[in-house]
Amino acid sequence: MRKTLFALIFVAGLLGAIAVFGGDTADDPTLGLPPVPIPEDNPQTPAKIALGEELFNDMRFSSTGEVSCATCHDPEKAFTDSPLKTSEGIEKKTGTRNAPTVVNAAYFHTQFWDGRSPSLEDQALHPPVNPVEMGLPSHEPILEIVRADPGYASAFAEVFGVEGERITMDHVTKAIAAFERTQIAGDSPFDRWFFAGETNALNEQQQRGYDLFVNQGRCVSCHIIEQTQALFTDNRFHNIGVGINNIQSDVPDLADDFLEADLKLSEVDVEVLADKRTSELGRFAISHGFDDLGSFKTPTLRNVAATAPYMHDGSVATLRDAVVHYNNGGVTNEGDPVNDFLSGGIRPLNLEEDQIDDLVAFMEALTSPGFTVPTAAPDEG
Amino acid sequence: MKKQPNRREFLKGAGAVAAASTLPLTSVELAFADPSKNFTFAYISDAHIQHIAGDRFVRNWDRGLIRAVAETNLLQPKPDFVMFGGDLAQLGTRPELDHGAEMLAKLNYETHMVMGEHDYYLDLGEYWRELFGPHWYSFDHKGVHFVVLNSILTYHEWTFDRWPTPEQRMLEMAGLDNPNGSPFMVGDKQRAWLATDLSGVSKDTPVVVFSHSPIQKLYKGWNFWTEDAEQVQALLQPFSDATVIYGHVHQIQYNQIGNISFQAVMATAWPWPYPGTYAQAEHTMPKLTVPMNRADPFFERDATGWQFIDLSNGRVSMSYNLYDNTNRTVAYDPATGTPVDTRYQNVGDRIPPQTQY
Amino acid sequence: MAKKHIWVFLVVIATLAIVGVSLRADEFTEADLERWQNEYMSVVKEGRALWGSPDLGTNGVACGQCHPNAANTHPETYPKFQQQLGRVIALRDMINWCIMNPLEGEVLELNDPRMIALEAYIAYERRGVPLDPGKH
Repeated sequence: MRKTLFALIFVAGLLGAIAVFGGDTADDPTLGLPPVPIPEDNPQTPAKIALGEELFNDMRFSSTGEVSCATCHDPEKAFTDSPLKTSEGIEKKTGTRNAPTVVNAAYFHTQFWDGRSPSLEDQALHPPVNPVEMGLPSHEPILEIVRADPGYASAFAEVFGVEGERITMDHVTKAIAAFERTQIAGDSPFDRWFFAGETNALNEQQQRGYDLFVNQGRCVSCHIIEQTQALFTDNRFHNIGVGINNIQSDVPDLADDFLEADLKLSEVDVEVLADKRTSELGRFAISHGFDDLGSFKTPTLRNVAATAPYMHDGSVATLRDAVVHYNNGGVTNEGDPVNDFLSGGIRPLNLEEDQIDDLVAFMEALTSPGFTVPTAAPDEG
Repeated sequence: MKKQPNRREFLKGAGAVAAASTLPLTSVELAFADPSKNFTFAYISDAHIQHIAGDRFVRNWDRGLIRAVAETNLLQPKPDFVMFGGDLAQLGTRPELDHGAEMLAKLNYETHMVMGEHDYYLDLGEYWRELFGPHWYSFDHKGVHFVVLNSILTYHEWTFDRWPTPEQRMLEMAGLDNPNGSPFMVGDKQRAWLATDLSGVSKDTPVVVFSHSPIQKLYKGWNFWTEDAEQVQALLQPFSDATVIYGHVHQIQYNQIGNISFQAVMATAWPWPYPGTYAQAEHTMPKLTVPMNRADPFFERDATGWQFIDLSNGRVSMSYNLYDNTNRTVAYDPATGTPVDTRYQNVGDRIPPQTQY
Repeated sequence: MAKKHIWVFLVVIATLAIVGVSLRADEFTEADLERWQNEYMSVVKEGRALWGSPDLGTNGVACGQCHPNAANTHPETYPKFQQQLGRVIALRDMINWCIMNPLEGEVLELNDPRMIALEAYIAYERRGVPLDPGKH
């Protein structure tokens, strides 16, 4: 009850803010989305959100003082680091995975491409101590800063009623998560067409694209659109044949070695970003289940036009390339061998070229107001 | 977070096994006096490789067998052997049997084959014999007596006199709900052979029978049926640890009749409805069975799978490897004297996908 | 002359009455019911034939391979929210989904006689089961 109340207060506040600051007062930025899930132990307050935003942007939480959350989740780039394929941390070190957007991440049941984190709060613990991301030896440097900095000290006191040694990473991550829960965006042209009855919000090509999306394209089963809301993710994990196709013959040994290593979850975080081949194991690294080999979480398609390149490894450069990959039945080049563990939902689609274009046009209609789509194509390299 | 055990964790007793279970699944202390006699084998069944034309086969069923073989090859520790439970082909043609055999050849283990009706009724198993060997046989392994039956035979008249062509005969048997079909049976000749075969086996030797048809009478309309079930059962009843493992039904089923446990295996191809979902007919499905989860047809591997079987203390514990569903384990519980589902047997523990209607 | 016409008229009426044709516009007879039921069953039979036909799709798979006796089609639950399509649909939309997906075929027009026949067969095999629209 309480969490719904706070969510409603937040939304009302947001609407009020829009009314005050101009823009069409009939616009609802959450059109097409359900209420944001707010955990009972971390209610939203304006002060907490502001604190979270400050922490999100603080570059001191890295070993070189040059990397913050916002480095890879840049508010100017729909909270990604488009056009990078895989993110660059301290000293431009690269990992194996593409930075997902924070926008609408509050709707995920798990965080990271392999869902190794059960919440936004937990997720924020990992990048600071990952050697290729923010490179800290532990969380201690963060705590030293927030405890000593006078600005933070008064903020933590106001928000959580704690100071000095009593400030913990629990408070830090709660504030960051609260900020992330405000990055909600619906109200795309698709939403206005589908949920608000604006018949001209989508052009004919985009409407054909919608029809393909829910029928021949088979997209809707994982990138969910429902009668009254559209999350564009089923919050599940699927092997769609990206990346793992390249290591097919190595999978038995890789899987076996991985299980032998018997890593703790924090070690898994390091390992999957350090070793590309281990990264391809996907959800298997967390669940150890055969049917999770090479599986990754279904991302939302909202604002997808602004977050190129695509897939867990950033290996798919454009939306069109993504549709072609699906059309081929889970391989990048038609005729490549399909990996043995491919999801049963992936199969050749027999789409014509113009139908592929229609689907791309539809996905471009999922961009919320205020998000810019890069006009230049991302680097192929 | 759903956690699915792989083979290794299953042995450690971790993962999906319910904490409340007290079953000695692979508890070495309670098993054979000689622990080296505990072993596992894998079971892949009902691949239904279906030829379209030329070199095109139904992709859906192909992928099911490919996946089962690939995952079976990942098992650690390795199973002692693999059984294939019948219906490798859909219409018993040479291209289908060849294509299926090619995929099975990728298994890294010794494989034994069980005949299914879809393999048999085109040429009465002639090509099968060439590829795989005899239609019925037995073998011993680590103190267990294994029997493979060809339990999908039927009346002589239907087999030899009724149909103008072999192709027609195969088509008529291929339709599960075809009223022109004919009930499965083991038959006099094989039962006589079985009686002789079992006469040399001591009554406390564990016996496991591999059969395509259920060796029970569950639902005649879909040939979940063996016409001479009681007579075959009578041959098995004297044994203290007897288990029948059967295919054909493409779903989780298990039962206990006297001394004999019955366990069905999943298909790698597609799932079948439970007979209770057909509103116009009666059936005698075992009440013991906790049904599998209902299929989502979008995910072509949903409600399909393969299994590995632990034999400890001469009794079967079958783990169903299911795709994107929580794995299931059905194991013999000495306390009840029946197979039970280790997680869902109590009605209060069931989940919505297990409601079939 | 008029009397003769009356007799003809009465004979015709009697014959019609014996044959069982109703003369009242809105009264149907037992014979009508039987005939109409047979008309219906003829389409059910067509549906049953389609049910086992490898020609609805392009890969030889037939409806009956997964749905013996149309089990697990649940016509009594439609219209319903169909998860695979993301919206509330009628039975025929799901039939088309199956034709397009597991059968890898072309969808049927909604008023195609084959679609009617398939629905007739499905409903016939589920006769007697109460309506439960929306049930997943």
